[in-house]
Amino acid sequence: MASIQDFAQCTTDVYNYYGDKPEVDIQEREINKQPMTRAEKERRLYFETKSSASVEFPYWYTRRWEELEGEIPIIRRAEALKSGFSHLTPALLPGEIIAMRKAVYLRGSYPMPWLSEMFFLAKEDELYKEAQKMGKTSADEVTTMGQGGGNVTKSAGNVISIAGKFGLRKEEMPALLKIAKKWFNKSVDDVGHKYEQLVPDYQTKEEIMRAVICMFDSGYTLPQGREVMNYYYPLQYGIEGIKRICHEKQDQSAGYPDMDRLYFYKAVHSMLEGMQTWILNYAGEARFMASLEDDPVQKAEFLEIAERLEWLSENKPRNFHDALQLVWIFHVAVLNEDAISGLSPGRLGQVLYPFWKNDMENGNLTREKTLELLEAMRMKFTELDCFASMGVVGGVLSGNTFNNLCIGGLDKDGNSAANELEMLILESAMSCATPQPTLSLLFDEKLPEEFLMKGIECTKIGTGYPAWVNNRVAMEFLLNNFKNEGLGLEEARAWSIGGCLETSPGSWMPLEFDGQTHYIPGGSAPATSVGVHFISLPKVLEAVLFDGIDRRTGRRVYPAHGSKLETYEELWTVFKKYFSLTVEVLTLTNNIQHDIWGKISPSIVNSMLKPDCLDTGKDISHKGCRYNRTFNVEICGGVNLANSLAAIKKNVFDDRNFSMETLKLAIEANFGYHSALESGSFSLTEQVKTDNYKNWLKIHKLCLDAPKYGNDDKYVDNIFREWQHWFSGMCEKYRSLYDEPMYSCQISVSTHGPMGAVTLATPDGRLCGTTFADGSVSAYPGTDRNGPYALFNSATCYNHALSQNSQLNMKIHPSVVKGREGSRKFLEMIKAYVRKGAFHAQFNIVDSRMLKDAQKNPDNYRGLMVRVAGFTQYWVELGKQIQDEVIARTEYEQLG
Amino acid sequence: MKHYDCKYFLMTDVFKGICKRDKTTIFADDAACENFEKARKCKNCNNFTTTDDDLGLCMNKFMAYPEMNAITCNDFNG
Repeated sequence: MASIQDFAQCTTDVYNYYGDKPEVDIQEREINKQPMTRAEKERRLYFETKSSASVEFPYWYTRRWEELEGEIPIIRRAEALKSGFSHLTPALLPGEIIAMRKAVYLRGSYPMPWLSEMFFLAKEDELYKEAQKMGKTSADEVTTMGQGGGNVTKSAGNVISIAGKFGLRKEEMPALLKIAKKWFNKSVDDVGHKYEQLVPDYQTKEEIMRAVICMFDSGYTLPQGREVMNYYYPLQYGIEGIKRICHEKQDQSAGYPDMDRLYFYKAVHSMLEGMQTWILNYAGEARFMASLEDDPVQKAEFLEIAERLEWLSENKPRNFHDALQLVWIFHVAVLNEDAISGLSPGRLGQVLYPFWKNDMENGNLTREKTLELLEAMRMKFTELDCFASMGVVGGVLSGNTFNNLCIGGLDKDGNSAANELEMLILESAMSCATPQPTLSLLFDEKLPEEFLMKGIECTKIGTGYPAWVNNRVAMEFLLNNFKNEGLGLEEARAWSIGGCLETSPGSWMPLEFDGQTHYIPGGSAPATSVGVHFISLPKVLEAVLFDGIDRRTGRRVYPAHGSKLETYEELWTVFKKYFSLTVEVLTLTNNIQHDIWGKISPSIVNSMLKPDCLDTGKDISHKGCRYNRTFNVEICGGVNLANSLAAIKKNVFDDRNFSMETLKLAIEANFGYHSALESGSFSLTEQVKTDNYKNWLKIHKLCLDAPKYGNDDKYVDNIFREWQHWFSGMCEKYRSLYDEPMYSCQISVSTHGPMGAVTLATPDGRLCGTTFADGSVSAYPGTDRNGPYALFNSATCYNHALSQNSQLNMKIHPSVVKGREGSRKFLEMIKAYVRKGAFHAQFNIVDSRMLKDAQKNPDNYRGLMVRVAGFTQYWVELGKQIQDEVIARTEYEQLG
Repeated sequence: MKHYDCKYFLMTDVFKGICKRDKTTIFADDAACENFEKARKCKNCNNFTTTDDDLGLCMNKFMAYPEMNAITCNDFNG
């Protein structure tokens, strides 16, 4: 087990490792490929480009919204979106072969004050102060943003920094403030807040938010996302074809009962007209750019873009390039209707395969040209930004947007779905290594070995993708949770990952192309990771120990439990009580927020795309999707909770090494160390002792020496398993807005940073303010000392299909997986884990010393990427809370 | 006159962009060159009137702001 001496040793070595100590020199990753000229040029430009916000879309949206006062809400919303789309300034760079973007800037985004207007107001503003009082800014205040890369962390010259990330031209600020104030008391945030206060015990919710026991609200922050796109309708019918469907459906619903259908079809029609104008504006810009061009090759490319966009503004795609362009247009269109993270393209290689295969067979496309297009697509996804508050964009997303592209899995008939285009998707992800789209390989024993080895080759480049996900566990989860809505085995095979790691149901849709019917997979459920957003388990435990008080702020969060906590069972009972209270009040308040979202700001573009909204005339917020049970309860810090409960059980109750009161004093004294905030380091390594250190040394050692998860130790693993079973069961007692039971979701994203920052030392020996263990089944850094297979045994001590996901991060030294033999060994290790019933594993193939060097010399590492928890991000764009945690993760120097 | 106000300025971020004519990287707030042509912005539109809060009015009716691009505005009257 880890001891304080071990951690002192770590201070010298700067990182934790398992196995033999690595060689003296920092080891490079084995495989290092380069993009083709076109993508390389765009990537260089990307590296020099800052995240930038504009006011254009919110201006035109708001102007039209005000004009239509009194109109039916969904029509008003569609017209506002139409106006926004129609007025976006088109921008086209030389060398682009996939056109169009979210906003005028390369990394462009914009505020959506109709969702929430408070966080980007000046801190002196009265509205901002109101938000502070409600605890809505608490997560912002404890989040650290990455200081490098494309983040605009400080205002300078004519540029104002918002949320520590986005630059806004100073000239646009007065307009933004004026527009924001027009939405005061009208936004989803404000109206939702008005009504959520009607929930009995609402004050507890505010205290939970203020204490950062919950990371953030759901309905107005990122109301959509963590879901899988469905591109079927545009690919099958084209935009004019969908408009025709809307016309026919309008005729069938006008004047008949359930009139909401009429307004939905009218809204979709209007919105599509706005999209057509948007596309044609880009076509016009392409022709203008061509008119300025002397280079005949570039001129021809601009004209080709113009012709393609003009065609696609009405028609369905003719070939692979058309199809890829149309997919991108609709992807961006959905992102422009809401603040969204985790809008995943899903199994895109299978969706586009009929077009690609046809082009290849007819000699209209080469592998080289395919790679060029796929690299261009990677750059497009990488350039996406999501405008949100610091707590959301930094504390949760780490600046990422989580567009997960899945490969592999099974087809409709249960055979391997892997194809040649997916091999090229893997190749392009290696040559053009960028954070987006991240890849997940849906592992199934039926997948060919060649495909799996290609996946391993890609994983070895060190960017953290593909993540390896167990197809069968996901299908079992879906069949358990969506059978009441009619999901069967065949449809379960159409699943994909939405967001970083949210298992999402899909459907097989009959695409007719080239005289054949191809069943393509696509998402058929609304957003998930809506509901209860990230409950900090160690913080709940802290409240249990201190009788319902948040010791950081001194405020009462929960009613005093009055229990003396004289037995472990008593402690566990109170923990369950506080946790249940948290889930209950957050479920109710977030249901209200989502109801308001559906009334004020319903989804139009995404609703149109998702089966079966277009058939039924119901949008997403009226259960128009085929599968609607997607609300979940997310948690963070589960491993620290299990380790802490084990430490208490062992030291206080079993061995009686010290009393609960003594433990509480030790926690308040932070075991004799300065807090992470004071030391500036957020992992257990490199912490600074106080003069009282020796007073707490023995207790701290006992806490660190207590059984730790990740070592195949039944003492702690049984506690972990008990938690998992209870948690998954209790979620089902709570009902979502759509009157479906909730389920458990276990990903940390980046929340383990800011949530750790507000938490005192924990009974497992973790120090105050340091980051929690990442993911859900990753070991706490430095505490997994018995090798990977012991970690796997701990991780699979419960049934992973009980939950929407589990998440395991491992850091492996590049030398361990070197060469063909290393690849084989690596693949066998993953297979062994999956065969134990594990859901997911992902890997950083990196020498920790390189990360340490990158922290000191960020300018030398602009392109360095790491896997955090379900996503890959540029090192320089991560906050220090997360950087320190990634460095501290145990580095595996051997796989056996 | 700044690049920021020029018809040929292609913004890549809030600080800088590319000249659409010669493809060089230029900074938004640097002085424009001799090829400068006024961009379609609200401040260059006859329907726009300024107000004393750094904003303005479009057609004496809608709030607007001087620096907004009007390349896609059907009512632009330059």
